[in-house]
Amino acid sequence: MKMIAFLRAAIVAAAMLVSAPVLAQEKTGLKPGFALAPNARIVLMRPSIKVGAQSTGGMFEPNADWTAQARDNIGKALQSTQVRLGNRVTPYDDAAGNDPVLLGQYQNLFKTLAGSVIEFQFFPGNRLPTKVRKGKFNWSIGQEVTRLPGLAGADYALFINTEDHYGSAGRKALQIFGAMAGVGIKSGLHIGYAGLIDLKTGELVWLNADQQMGGDVRDAVGATKRVNQLLEGFPAASTAVASAR
Amino acid sequence: MRFARLALLLAAAAGPAAAKSPPPLPTYTPAYEPSTVDERGLWGEADEEERKLRDSPLVVRDETVNAYVRRVFCTTVGQDRCKPVRIYVVEVPRFNAMMAPNGMMVVWSGLLLRARSEAELGAVLGHEFAHFELRHGLAAFKRARNISDALSWIGVAGGLSGVNTFGLQWALIGSFYRFNRDQERQADELGLKYLAASPYPAGAMPELWTHVMAEDDATKVARGRKPRQHYSAGFFDTHPTDLDRAVTLTKLAAKYGDSGDAAFAGHRTGVTPVLPMLLADQIKLNDFGGTDYILGQLAQSSGWTSDLLFARAELYRARGNPRDLVTAAGFYGDAIRAGCTAPEARRGLGLSLMRSGLASDGRTALAEYLQLKPDAADAKAIQALLAN
Amino acid sequence: MTKRLLITAALAATLAGPALANSLVAPGPVPRIARSTLSAVPGTEWNRLSARGGKNVEIWTLDGDELNKVTFYGGVLVGDTLFRAADRKNAPLPKVTPNMLITDIPALLESSYRSQYNTTQMSIDSQEPTLVAGHKGIKFTYSFVRQDDELQRKGEAVGAFVGDRLYLVSYEAPAIHFFDKDVASFRQLATTLKF
Repeated sequence: MKMIAFLRAAIVAAAMLVSAPVLAQEKTGLKPGFALAPNARIVLMRPSIKVGAQSTGGMFEPNADWTAQARDNIGKALQSTQVRLGNRVTPYDDAAGNDPVLLGQYQNLFKTLAGSVIEFQFFPGNRLPTKVRKGKFNWSIGQEVTRLPGLAGADYALFINTEDHYGSAGRKALQIFGAMAGVGIKSGLHIGYAGLIDLKTGELVWLNADQQMGGDVRDAVGATKRVNQLLEGFPAASTAVASAR
Repeated sequence: MRFARLALLLAAAAGPAAAKSPPPLPTYTPAYEPSTVDERGLWGEADEEERKLRDSPLVVRDETVNAYVRRVFCTTVGQDRCKPVRIYVVEVPRFNAMMAPNGMMVVWSGLLLRARSEAELGAVLGHEFAHFELRHGLAAFKRARNISDALSWIGVAGGLSGVNTFGLQWALIGSFYRFNRDQERQADELGLKYLAASPYPAGAMPELWTHVMAEDDATKVARGRKPRQHYSAGFFDTHPTDLDRAVTLTKLAAKYGDSGDAAFAGHRTGVTPVLPMLLADQIKLNDFGGTDYILGQLAQSSGWTSDLLFARAELYRARGNPRDLVTAAGFYGDAIRAGCTAPEARRGLGLSLMRSGLASDGRTALAEYLQLKPDAADAKAIQALLAN
Repeated sequence: MTKRLLITAALAATLAGPALANSLVAPGPVPRIARSTLSAVPGTEWNRLSARGGKNVEIWTLDGDELNKVTFYGGVLVGDTLFRAADRKNAPLPKVTPNMLITDIPALLESSYRSQYNTTQMSIDSQEPTLVAGHKGIKFTYSFVRQDDELQRKGEAVGAFVGDRLYLVSYEAPAIHFFDKDVASFRQLATTLKF
């Protein structure tokens, strides 16, 4: 089952992190010259939010209360941030959907697209020469995205994905022991990315990804910090975000 | 002879028929809600997974088959227990079914091919439901946390001594999130009680288990590996030793001594709409021994029908050794004589003959295929073979 | 995806170096693709991935192999598998067998994918004869869903047997947007193949 597969993946990931040193990695990509349309209407796609604890072994222990709190906190923080920026953020209306399969495919495609940007653009050693030489941010989910029901009248679609594994006491002890043995062990896992799709062209105009996010999404203050971090480099929003921190 | 010895063991375990008395089932608490942090976390995850699974392209949407699986499940565990459960049949051609802590049951299509009767299908669904009713998901999760804790310490130790522990880590991960032996025994026992209280015979469970072991043997033998390696309990083998389990199940089932109709014909009818899909998926797994075993089992129940003969021919043609192609051509011929109307039987026959060097006979069969299915997806490619 | 990224991170950290970098494929003649006699003359730029997946396998992409991927199988011998099996013991891959016909090529690819990637849904949608590098071969289209990302993908490939070797070149991309975006570049490339 998927959950089992996920738990396995999480454990494998954690196991691999045992000896992976900290990496130099870029975090943000922005299409050159892009500016957000004034009074933009942004549709927030259902964010993928997972919050839980990390056991000594690095296994993810999902926590429904934390996840619910985070969903609530992040939603509110996004609203207030965007209102300050003069944009209108509306959550994607599932009921307007009528095509859940296509919606699911777009959610999957966005994950794959973001993964490709992170893997092939943000990691310097792994770049694709055609993408680098253009020195630009040239990614798209395709103009066909406008066919997706529920996006009519919107200018942009915002995709958000966060995953937080808070280190347990045992994990922190292991971290200290590991440091003595010369093995780098991360306590906690805080991965997140946010991306903005221009609904006129399907272009990914901005993506921000971080494998070391801050801000405890389980409380309102932390969630605001996280949202600011997720929206770091958000087009035409840099000053407002900076001052909010 | 392996199977003979196994049969003896199982017969001895069954002993003389005991008195009939359907065992009492535990009181069932409907509409259970999660209470602890771990439990609510698991439910939330499962809810999110179910949201995705609902719209997944992997879900088999055929209404007849879905209704059939639900009927067997409800007949096995009773109406009270079955009502809130959502069942998703997914197209994965392996033997498995799972129940998430939130009441979502996932049935892999490979189970439908391997169960030979309603009772054998019910046995697996009941077993999984027993894990759910006993809330083993949570306990298994807590146990898994302990395994992974051990795993990290191994990683650190490896770092200390410079030993590559990568292989060991994977070996440990392989045994992750399976239920432990006690839990499997408990689920076996409760699952048997469901069966005994249902119109199905409890004996279906050990029978199915015996077939699963034999299929695994057949897979290994055909791959040139030693069979029955996992019949002795390894350190990390969380399931009770399979043989041990079959013996125990046979004993328990005999205790209930319930006879009942395993409903072989009902199962054949229930999966009819998807049988060609199930067979085709299985054949493409590149598992000659296991697949041939499954086909033989199906034939024991229904006889060598044209569907099964066709599938067997496809299996031999896929392996593609020179002798396999001759055998395949024979089975295609048998299938056609048994009334196989699928044009693909002519296609397979023609291709097997051509690869065996019997080009003109092959062309005749391929021409028949194109006559029967002029708009086939591969019509142009087959035309080209005819022209060569 | 998280898993893949973390693996990438770990690999990048331990193995990063110029030898492993992805390289540019410029328009014009490209010899010795997939360490074989296979060559092509692409009309557009591609990126050659450092990751291979088999001794006679080479992968080109434009936006990353999950978004568009051209795979060259450069002369797989009878008795060999298309690519390297991830788990040879429990999920061995089917092999090229003697006297295979062109219609066996799509079946071989499908069975290999089902074994290696747990691709439980895959169909061959069309098959027609074509000349590949002057040899009688097959052009086929297919669609599949991998279990790990559940994204619907489409594929198109050309292949032919030359003696006891199989040459196969495939193009795969998500059905939404990506497949149509670059399929023309692939088709151009496919017409220039030489073994």
